[in-house]
Amino acid sequence: MKRSTRWTASLVAACLSFAGLMQTAQATLVATEQVAASEGVRSATAQRDYVNATLARDDVAAGLAERGVSVEQARARVAALTDDEVAVVAHTLDTAPAGASDVLGVILTVFIVLLITDILGFTKVFPFTRSIR
Amino acid sequence: MQTRALREQPPVDLARSAELAGTPFFAQTDYQCGPAALATVLAAAGFPADPGELGPQVFLPARTGTLQIEMIAGARRAGAVATRVPATLEAVLREVQAGHPVVVLQNLGLSWIPAWHYAVLVGYDIAAGEVLLRSGTTRREAMTMRTFEHTWKRSGSWAFVALPPGQWPVTVQEAAAVEAGVGFERVAPPSQAVAVYRSALARWPANLSLAMGLGNSLHASGDLRGAAEVFRAAATQHRSAPAWINLSGTLLELGEKGAALEAARSAQASGDAAWQVQSDAALQEALGQR
Repeated sequence: MKRSTRWTASLVAACLSFAGLMQTAQATLVATEQVAASEGVRSATAQRDYVNATLARDDVAAGLAERGVSVEQARARVAALTDDEVAVVAHTLDTAPAGASDVLGVILTVFIVLLITDILGFTKVFPFTRSIR
Repeated sequence: MQTRALREQPPVDLARSAELAGTPFFAQTDYQCGPAALATVLAAAGFPADPGELGPQVFLPARTGTLQIEMIAGARRAGAVATRVPATLEAVLREVQAGHPVVVLQNLGLSWIPAWHYAVLVGYDIAAGEVLLRSGTTRREAMTMRTFEHTWKRSGSWAFVALPPGQWPVTVQEAAAVEAGVGFERVAPPSQAVAVYRSALARWPANLSLAMGLGNSLHASGDLRGAAEVFRAAATQHRSAPAWINLSGTLLELGEKGAALEAARSAQASGDAAWQVQSDAALQEALGQR
């Protein structure tokens, strides 16, 4: 190596090691929420996030679309559930096998019930239904 | 029917009646029973509360109502610890007896045509079979205990108490305290979260989540030494990988590389598959610093 290159190389090396010393180790700590979830305590928000994340899965969304239900409509339905109802859906999704068809089964059951009640005029969740009352 | 059971066999340590007459009142406007109820309990707990300000935060016009999550989050953003209370009539009455007004979610309609409504329970009279609520535009609404029980049951008996950090509902259960602490930690200044976790750990010293919460909050508040002590105690007590991981990270920040490496190795040794990736990362961090 030419002397100037070696000099540059050692300068760069010195800078790098100096930077390593100066680096304040910002440790990556495990978040409390993650530990709590592992201990079985999942907040209502986390449960909603979990159900919505399941809806956003490509295979689930495709299955819903095949049946004429958009992800937005599914989300709106989830948003209309109480926290305890979401917890039930989340638990059912947890305990069901993870295949798309099983997940769809859970979600569609929730949907069909609501379609019927919309048509019978007891609820008005879907804009496309016309109630008989 | 809890009402009948309570009236026939009232628990000896439950007062026959109680009324929190000093609880403030904020009349609701339009659909905003949520902000009004929230303001009521926040003001009762000594926090500044203005339904007009809370409204935009917790009220969702598209739904013409407030999600339960938003109520709890709204309380936390105001600096209060919002904790779910057990879903029993006795529990909410005990809270009133203890001086804690309770936000309750009622379904004033039918189970298939719900009319959700937030109100604040401020009193009861077992002999008369009545409860008292701050509700809607009525400062002192008397409702039969039976009707209250029905309308409240239809919401899943959802209720919470809002208190200053360090205080807990008298009927609080361990899981609800963990949920409340973790939620509070997300939005509160670290020093406040420390107070919450310390008070919870005093009651439930064997709870790992609470210990991790305390350690993380101490860390976030800049007390690295304190955080390390808490993580070490939790790691030893629970043989917990995440506690070792966080101990290792904190020790690295304190410049104690040898001890950090030891802690990271302990995390690996715990053999818990759920924490494998993070244990590996902690070990790499500890090694990288040498």
